[in-house]
Amino acid sequence: MIEPTYFWTVVAFMAVGTLAIRGSIILISSTGKFVISDRMRELFSFIPAAIIPAIVAPMVFFHIGKVEWLGNRERLWVLLLAVFVCYFTRHMVATIGFGLLVLYLVTQIG
Amino acid sequence: MKKNFFRFGFIKILPIMTGVVPFGAVVGSAAADAGLNVSQTMLFNIFVFAGASQLAAIDLMTKGGTIVVVVLTGLIINLRFLLYSAAISPVLSGAGFWAKIFGAYFLTDQSYAVMTAHETHFKKSGDAIQFYFGSCTCMALTWHLAVLGGSLFGNFAPRNWALDYAVPLSFVVLVIPTLKNRKYILVAICSALSGILLYRLPLNLGLIASAVISISLAVLLSRKSESARMNQ
Repeated sequence: MIEPTYFWTVVAFMAVGTLAIRGSIILISSTGKFVISDRMRELFSFIPAAIIPAIVAPMVFFHIGKVEWLGNRERLWVLLLAVFVCYFTRHMVATIGFGLLVLYLVTQIG
Repeated sequence: MKKNFFRFGFIKILPIMTGVVPFGAVVGSAAADAGLNVSQTMLFNIFVFAGASQLAAIDLMTKGGTIVVVVLTGLIINLRFLLYSAAISPVLSGAGFWAKIFGAYFLTDQSYAVMTAHETHFKKSGDAIQFYFGSCTCMALTWHLAVLGGSLFGNFAPRNWALDYAVPLSFVVLVIPTLKNRKYILVAICSALSGILLYRLPLNLGLIASAVISISLAVLLSRKSESARMNQ
């Protein structure tokens, strides 16, 4: 059970912080006083690559599945396959559909 | 015939909703499992409107993480919106103050992705703004309904279908298109490995540490390319 005061404090700070991040460059650049340098822009473009894999990798690496011939790591292997599918097709729906389908098939056969 | 760009944006983001519905269901059912009631879940959803950070925060709150750790983890996850904010700012530069605020609030991985994919379709800035808000409306409706569904009915997929697997998959499709060259791939591999190696650190500090390490690597790599350019 999550205590309400604790919960609402977290929600309040996350709400304000998230809106501040989202609004930051939109509002700063509209004042005309600050110009976002190319160097900053380049660094920003690394942010998804720096953060998202650190969220996803433990999610699938530490998941204990049920397909023994894949070392119970079917979620990891299917995700690696999906990475290749996504890299070469650049197709979001195809990648998600492929991943869900292959995981389903592997766990059914496994 | 005059093209309705609001509707165009609404329609163009629809395919990505295939990843959003299961993700929302997972967030909603995780909130219900953590003991949050429907109004708490939906207000959290409306105020923050960033699923990945909400999922991490719910997980940490059930483990009793301190407010600082929970908030910091959530905000680190949402740091990627800095990139999106920079990318979308030219689109909203002609809009009024409140349109900018709402535009910022509605900024998501999905609306950013669909916006960058259609950059070249607009003749005037009003069309792009219409398109953006059309896609955001579709995203917000889908997201809130999916979370509501998850909160009320739990994870509504059949048992054999591991729908929660759509969460890591939807992160994959968000990050892969941002990997423009080998440097980005290197940063992504560093992030994945440090995320795994540091996972055992208490209270998600591993994620914060991995983010810091990987961003430092990005700073190093981009500085290198800059000095290489200067030497040419």
